[in-house]
Amino acid sequence: MDYKYIEQLLERYFQCETTLKEEEILRSFFSQEDVPVWLMKYQALFAYETAQEQSLGDDFDERILEMIEQSKPVKARVLTMTQRLMPLFKAAAVVAIILTLGNAAQAPWDRGWDNPQEEYAKFHQQQCDSAEIMGPIQAENLLEDSTTKAIVPEAPKY
Amino acid sequence: MKKVSFRNDVLPLKNQLYRLALRITLTPEDAEDVVQETMMKVWSRRQQWDQIESMEAFCMAVCRNLALDKTRKMTATEQSIEASEHDTPDFSHAANPEEQAIQKDRLRLVRQIIDSLPEKQRSVMQLRDFEGKSYKEIAAIMDISEEQVKINIFRARQTVKQRFLQSEDYGL
Repeated sequence: MDYKYIEQLLERYFQCETTLKEEEILRSFFSQEDVPVWLMKYQALFAYETAQEQSLGDDFDERILEMIEQSKPVKARVLTMTQRLMPLFKAAAVVAIILTLGNAAQAPWDRGWDNPQEEYAKFHQQQCDSAEIMGPIQAENLLEDSTTKAIVPEAPKY
Repeated sequence: MKKVSFRNDVLPLKNQLYRLALRITLTPEDAEDVVQETMMKVWSRRQQWDQIESMEAFCMAVCRNLALDKTRKMTATEQSIEASEHDTPDFSHAANPEEQAIQKDRLRLVRQIIDSLPEKQRSVMQLRDFEGKSYKEIAAIMDISEEQVKINIFRARQTVKQRFLQSEDYGL
């Protein structure tokens, strides 16, 4: 076993020129069983370094976490940008739904577009007593149609 | 979400903080108090956690400062008396009880010598030889220059070596 290397490391150790890796080597060397006699005096030094066992128990963790829980009311919630915009998104979604429903509600509920040809014809055959019922614009349209005799295109049969 | 990262930094660091606090206060009860105070202080600063580069260095620095504050309230004589009352861990490779006893004595001696060093030297020794920190990290934790770190480690090691070998010689 080459102790020259260890002795060199020791010298450098006391000159504070060793790296962490080299110190690790020294430590593991001295934790072995067969340390040569002339090096035994250093053993306690390095042995001590590896022998530290003081530690805090797990109940320490619980105590700390408890103490933190108690101080929670003081904790301020940090709002992220996304969180701040969230109410806006929700509002936009609601408005979108309302608009969609509103649009859908404007279309005739009796499924008039199954046969537009019929609907169209019905519309023009309406006997109206007065233009007031239909409104002036629609009454005009009727008049025009009857004079020009609009040709209703054949609806393709599916 | 902050809670999670506190959990991740409580468990790994508490023993490291405890060892450092113990190295400075030399009393287990005080050391535990210091670690507790450190945790609470770190928790109260959680708004700044994002700005901290190294949580470990930050916690260790807070711990060290709190430990120093605590020791300033203690008298010097109290410290040296407390030091000798610690139980040394049983490190023994030798089979026979005599060797074990000798080894125990040696360890206690080393501890005493280290505990009698000035605080700066004790701390750097703790951080370097026990916690395996680089000079750079130690400088950050203790808020001193790397050169200072090296000087303190040098003095610490030399003193320990001298005193230890001296008493070994006398003992035999």
